[in-house]
Amino acid sequence: MSAARQAIKVGTKNVRPVLSVNHGEAKRRVLNLYKAWYRQIPYLVKDYDMPKSEEQCREKLKEMFLNNKHVSDIRVIDMLVIKGQMELKEAVNLWKQKGHMMAYFKPTEEPKPKDFLSKFFSSNE
Amino acid sequence: MLRQPLSRALALSSPARVAPLAARRYADAVPAQPEKVEVFIDDQPVHVLPGTTVLQAAAQVGVEIPRFCYHERLAVAGNCRMCLVEVEKSPKPVAACAMPVMKGMRVKTNSDLTRKAREGVMEFLLVNHPLDCPICDQGGECDLQDQSMAFGSDRSRFTDIHFSGKRAVEDKDVGPLIKTIMTRCIHCTRCIRFASEVAGVDDFGTTGRGTEMQVGTYVEKMFLSELSGNIIDLCPVGALTSKPYSFAARPWETRRIDSVDVLDPLGSNIVVATRTNEVLRILPRTNEEINEEWLSDKSRFACDGLKRQRLVTPMLKDSRGNLAPVEWEDAVVAAARALRDCPPDKLLAVAGGLADAEALVALKDLLNRLGSEHVCTEHYFPTQGAGTDLRSSYLLNTKIANVEDADFVLLIGTNTRFEAPLLNARIRKAFIHKETDVALVGPKVDLTYEYTHVGDSASIVKDFASGTSSHEVMKRLQQAKRPVVILGADQLKSEEGPALLAYTQELAHKLQENLQDKEWKVLNVLQRTASQVAALDIGYQPGVGQALAAGPKVVYLLGADSGVVTRESLPEDVTIIYQGHHGDVGASIADIVLPGAAYTEKRATYVNAEGRAQQTLVAVSPPGKAREDWKIIRALSEVLGAGLPYDTLDEVRDRLSQVSPALVAYGDVQPNNYFAQARALAQSLQKPVSGKLDVQLKQLEDFFMTDAISRASPTMAKCVQAVLKQKNSPY
Amino acid sequence: MSLGKYLALDKLANLFNILKQNGGIRGTLYKLYRQEEAKDGVLVGEDKFGNKYYENPRYFYGRSRWVEYNEKFHLNYDASQVTSEWYGWLHYKTDLPPHQDPSRPKYKWMIDGNENLSGTTGQYTPYSTTRPKVEAWMPKKAE
Repeated sequence: MSAARQAIKVGTKNVRPVLSVNHGEAKRRVLNLYKAWYRQIPYLVKDYDMPKSEEQCREKLKEMFLNNKHVSDIRVIDMLVIKGQMELKEAVNLWKQKGHMMAYFKPTEEPKPKDFLSKFFSSNE
Repeated sequence: MLRQPLSRALALSSPARVAPLAARRYADAVPAQPEKVEVFIDDQPVHVLPGTTVLQAAAQVGVEIPRFCYHERLAVAGNCRMCLVEVEKSPKPVAACAMPVMKGMRVKTNSDLTRKAREGVMEFLLVNHPLDCPICDQGGECDLQDQSMAFGSDRSRFTDIHFSGKRAVEDKDVGPLIKTIMTRCIHCTRCIRFASEVAGVDDFGTTGRGTEMQVGTYVEKMFLSELSGNIIDLCPVGALTSKPYSFAARPWETRRIDSVDVLDPLGSNIVVATRTNEVLRILPRTNEEINEEWLSDKSRFACDGLKRQRLVTPMLKDSRGNLAPVEWEDAVVAAARALRDCPPDKLLAVAGGLADAEALVALKDLLNRLGSEHVCTEHYFPTQGAGTDLRSSYLLNTKIANVEDADFVLLIGTNTRFEAPLLNARIRKAFIHKETDVALVGPKVDLTYEYTHVGDSASIVKDFASGTSSHEVMKRLQQAKRPVVILGADQLKSEEGPALLAYTQELAHKLQENLQDKEWKVLNVLQRTASQVAALDIGYQPGVGQALAAGPKVVYLLGADSGVVTRESLPEDVTIIYQGHHGDVGASIADIVLPGAAYTEKRATYVNAEGRAQQTLVAVSPPGKAREDWKIIRALSEVLGAGLPYDTLDEVRDRLSQVSPALVAYGDVQPNNYFAQARALAQSLQKPVSGKLDVQLKQLEDFFMTDAISRASPTMAKCVQAVLKQKNSPY
Repeated sequence: MSLGKYLALDKLANLFNILKQNGGIRGTLYKLYRQEEAKDGVLVGEDKFGNKYYENPRYFYGRSRWVEYNEKFHLNYDASQVTSEWYGWLHYKTDLPPHQDPSRPKYKWMIDGNENLSGTTGQYTPYSTTRPKVEAWMPKKAE
């Protein structure tokens, strides 16, 4: 009996927040991070001598933020913000190298074949 | 010949030893059940039939008693003494495998006395067993290792005080498949019992007694059996091991993938042991309805043929007429061009014996899309009468497991021993344990059991069918409660094939009419290859004779290696496309070669002679640039502009189930009927027949190399040499 | 300091000397094309490959001995074509060229030096000694 009660308790337990307590706060943190990156882009392009324009970098920034737009769990959003913050710090402090920055653009990644015939010719899957 | 099982001689009941079968539902077969007796295994009560042994009773409550000599499918020998258990009120421990239960018996399988008895037996066994586990091939799957760990004493009193060494026995040479290290033998006699009971070759036996006892063949002789490999699995120690697999791998290093054998029409269940993308050995997997736990030698040892003579890259004929390796794009485009430029009525596809159902249906769909109907199999089957429209006319309707229950088996023009060794083992089992009698119409061959040879003329079947025969086999057939007629599909190739099939159908129908058991099926046709049933189910035309005569322009061979299609039989300007996995007859005449996958390299459906769909699984990846067969045809169709509507295996299987749901009902056999209709349609074909029936595989040396895989296998070649050599020896 | 030197006429003389020794303007341009430098010097000797060894102490130590490879190599010359006898002289290990050095040991077991064949068809390629897992089928060749 007590085991069942325990299970219900665990199932409905209020989880401890990572940073934000509500969606509004989480959203604010995301936007702050976005702005911080946005402001750094001109310096990053210059410091890392990236063969990309500021426009392209902003587009990439937006794209990478929008990649996670489906995330609704506040704790997950917070974790992503923390990771983004860490990346930003690494980038701004020049702890990264040019290759790391360019990896955001995935220049060497070839799209995988989708249709049957190209899959057949490209690999023995 | 051993006709009575040893168990019967020991007045033990046999039913419990025969494998329990789900299909055993023939009402009159079940005798009145005697009352069950209650016994106690470690104080757990269990109710069993009288005559059950203590060991079986213990197994029913989940208590496993250690054993070496006892085996479910062999007679009880009771000579290893490992299964000694304490029985209350018995003065000494009893051998559980040979002791029938008695009312109220109290068995203690874990008492001090039992443990002491086991430790004693184990100590005696180990006194004369070499400590060569590190170099022994059985290591890791050895009953003696396992049981000495579980039940043996923790110390030995063996001290070689006289420095005389352990007992040593000279190794025997029993052929190229089985390696013997006779010093390791613990005299369980499983191999001897298997040879005489299941394989039907009374070559093994013991000589001497006590320390001098030896298991062997008396004189140096090869073990001339098509089931010889099974004694490797049976041997509880490393005395009999596999010669091709010797020193290759340890069992814990291998990955085991369940699969299905395709080298004979029965579709035996197998386990493929692989390591580092290489098939190392093939072991049987228990399936009571097909192969029990046995496997024929070809299925077991031909796996080294999968590594030789392989097609690993697409090939095209260059300007000088030599096949040269090319990329897939070039080969597919060349094949597509050849197919597109050919008028549809000059197109021919021929499927060989190892083709899987997915490739078969894809190839047929492709040709139909191109407007051609010429999709054939290599083996002929009469298309007159009901032809291949009724599934019952080309299947083994009785089912393999039910052959055990037959009381009379008539074989027409088939040597089941080599065409389907495990079916023959079933017939032999019935012959020995159930007093089934066998008659054969066809050439006199050694079936490993006694049979009545009626003659080899086809007209005998006609006389049987019309009821005019006065042969005693006729009377036996008519009296039989569960007769079985097995017709070899090879006989249907000749001119008289349709008539022979019609007569056989007539005979089977007449016999079936008189049966009390309406569920019993009499008519059986034994196909020769693993693909034939699936091909006929999908709607292939059997035989290539007519299609070849029409002079095709493009011939697409799907693993067709049996040599029925030759350059000589085709017009000069023909283009031959060969798709398959071995460079054999087909590839050597081809203009375009497309490398496919062998049965261990693809997930594919095969339908066995009973009509049971089973699937193989991917054990290793196809070598080089080889691809799964249906994918090649799918890619070709897209290049041709006639794209087939399936991209994944599941979609191909959906297509298969549209063609026939039986093709994807894995593990099941659909019941077949319409025997009467088939016979009625065939009645007009009952013309006089006069030919002689002959079978292709007469001797053991014919058995080993019958298809592209076994022809590429060095082990199989060695077997043929060894058998021929044995034939010349005086023994 | 003589007048000639003062007017750098000796440099001019060197130039004419170099042009002369290298076979005129065409020859010198060819030398420059082939070995990117044209020098004047004393022919000290020739090895078994036909490479010519020159010396001119006017050049700085380290550049004062050089080899001009045999014409037949054209642009495919390689430092390993310097024979082992000449190697010591060329690298200033000894001042005696091989044919003037009586104390050089000569043993039966000594083999001739040979050129490094890496990158050519004659190069050494290691081959696998492991058994192939799958033996491919070889189609029969038509006659």
